Amino acid sequence: MDKPTVAVYTRNLVKVYKGETRALDGIDLTVEAGIAFALLGPNGAGKTTLIRILTTQLRPTAGDAYVFGLNVTREGSKVRRLLSYVPQEMSVWTDISGYENLLVYAKIFGIPSEERRNIIHEALESMGLVEAANNLVSTYSGGMVRRLEIASAMLIKPKIMFLDEPTIGLDPSAKKVVWERLTIFKKQHGVTVFFNTHYMDEADLYSDRIAIINRGKIVKQGTAEELKRSLGGEVILFNLQNTDVTEEPLRKLRSTEAVKDVIMNNSELSILVEDAETSLPRIMELLRSENIKTEKISITKPTLDDVFLKYAGTRLETSGRISEVAQIRRMIRKG
Amino acid sequence: MFVMIELELRRLRHDRTELYFRAVQPVLWIVVFGPVMGSVKGIPTPGGIPYTDFITPGVLIQSTTFLCIFYGLMMVWERDSGILKKLLVTPASRYATVIGRSMASGVRAIFQGLIIVPVALIIGVRFYPNAGYFISAFIVIFFASGGFAAISILVASFMKTRERFMGIGQAIIMPLFFASNALYPLQMMPLALQYFSAVNPMSYVVDATRGLMITGDLTNLLVDVAAIAVFDIVMFILASISFKRIIE
Repeated sequence: MDKPTVAVYTRNLVKVYKGETRALDGIDLTVEAGIAFALLGPNGAGKTTLIRILTTQLRPTAGDAYVFGLNVTREGSKVRRLLSYVPQEMSVWTDISGYENLLVYAKIFGIPSEERRNIIHEALESMGLVEAANNLVSTYSGGMVRRLEIASAMLIKPKIMFLDEPTIGLDPSAKKVVWERLTIFKKQHGVTVFFNTHYMDEADLYSDRIAIINRGKIVKQGTAEELKRSLGGEVILFNLQNTDVTEEPLRKLRSTEAVKDVIMNNSELSILVEDAETSLPRIMELLRSENIKTEKISITKPTLDDVFLKYAGTRLETSGRISEVAQIRRMIRKG
Repeated sequence: MFVMIELELRRLRHDRTELYFRAVQPVLWIVVFGPVMGSVKGIPTPGGIPYTDFITPGVLIQSTTFLCIFYGLMMVWERDSGILKKLLVTPASRYATVIGRSMASGVRAIFQGLIIVPVALIIGVRFYPNAGYFISAFIVIFFASGGFAAISILVASFMKTRERFMGIGQAIIMPLFFASNALYPLQMMPLALQYFSAVNPMSYVVDATRGLMITGDLTNLLVDVAAIAVFDIVMFILASISFKRIIE
């Protein structure tokens, strides 16, 4: 059988909202079938817009997007048969039980009545919700609601699952449970998982490939390892006393031997080097001669955060917004 | 399509408080407004039936319509949550989703009606003694409610925020109610309002239910039912077309 191996393909995808906000600015992306793909980026980078175009909710302003070879604008109804989608916001009814939610979705998906019971039970089991199945969703915790949402996305055994910020607002242990269950399901059914996240660790641990998106553009792609290796050996992080460092010393640092890149972010100065032990004395000397005082020095292997900093120019974890989203989710729960 | 109705029944099974509270207003109309206005004896009712009897179907329809119009509000709420996005990404057609949800609000409307009827009975409204007619009246209410709910889905797909929707909801419902035959016979109205009433779907619904429930006079029933059918179809189509806008 001729099985398409490309799950998602986009070419020069552009989305402009209301003629001004350029949410996507020419996205070229290829995602192989059967992998877990993470779209990593800060809030407002265009992640949700991209998922919403791929799930046929929005029309792109320009460019083309294909899911398993089907054009999302022209063959929307065929595309919808292949995918399931978990939006960022809560998408279950809280005034009925978990089981009833799945029953309603099973009927909407047109699952034949004789299979329904088994399929629902399977989904509940794989998300660890069998015991809570008959409780009202309004009594569920945030993690349980998320698992129920993913369970409902599992009902049709999709070829591809789109998850928009699947663990937003969840505590670390709930996050872990969601991903463990999801990983098992993916292995069992060979589903392609396409997810958005702004959590570095999530992309690092649970994805096969990562694309970093910033301001509507894909700035870098690869496996987590490739991305980290692309930065080179080690990162020396200086916490500086003075934040008003001018371009001049940075330029001098950049031209120092064995320094691969220098990134200044608030009072943090990250310097990428091949080997920290040999480079550090030279760098320290230069800093001292430029009268830049350091408070703390740490040497680490590059993390995805460093990768992100390099390619997108900002740090990813901007906490204010995250707690805000968590709050919104709580608000929605209360209805 | 039917699954939406099932969903509504399941929600009602878990929580009916909304219906009880929504019943307060129509009950006041029947219990307070009806007898007080009726004692004035200034309003000529067909066949000289008591005024409270006359307005009971009108009040019933008003309350079910109210419920249906505010059904759109729930859609706006579901828009804020992810439910609508998810529904639109399922293989189910938009028409099935819209019609299903509209008719689901018909289910709510029927339950609402079933709360009001006993109150009316207690204060002495005499219903036309024919079970078949009575059931038909509720079928009429069911289908008419679907149309009104479709209006609200249509409005919701333009309004998109709760605050705006609340305002516009009132602005739709009150003219429909007062410019209909719900509270007074059409002949009493100024000519302009009579014309408006002729295109007001609520007039036809009230007329049909009044015939079936109170007077037993079915001379206009065919026209009424035809008008409701046209209204439903037009609204279903318009709402389905605009439905996708709601999540954009």
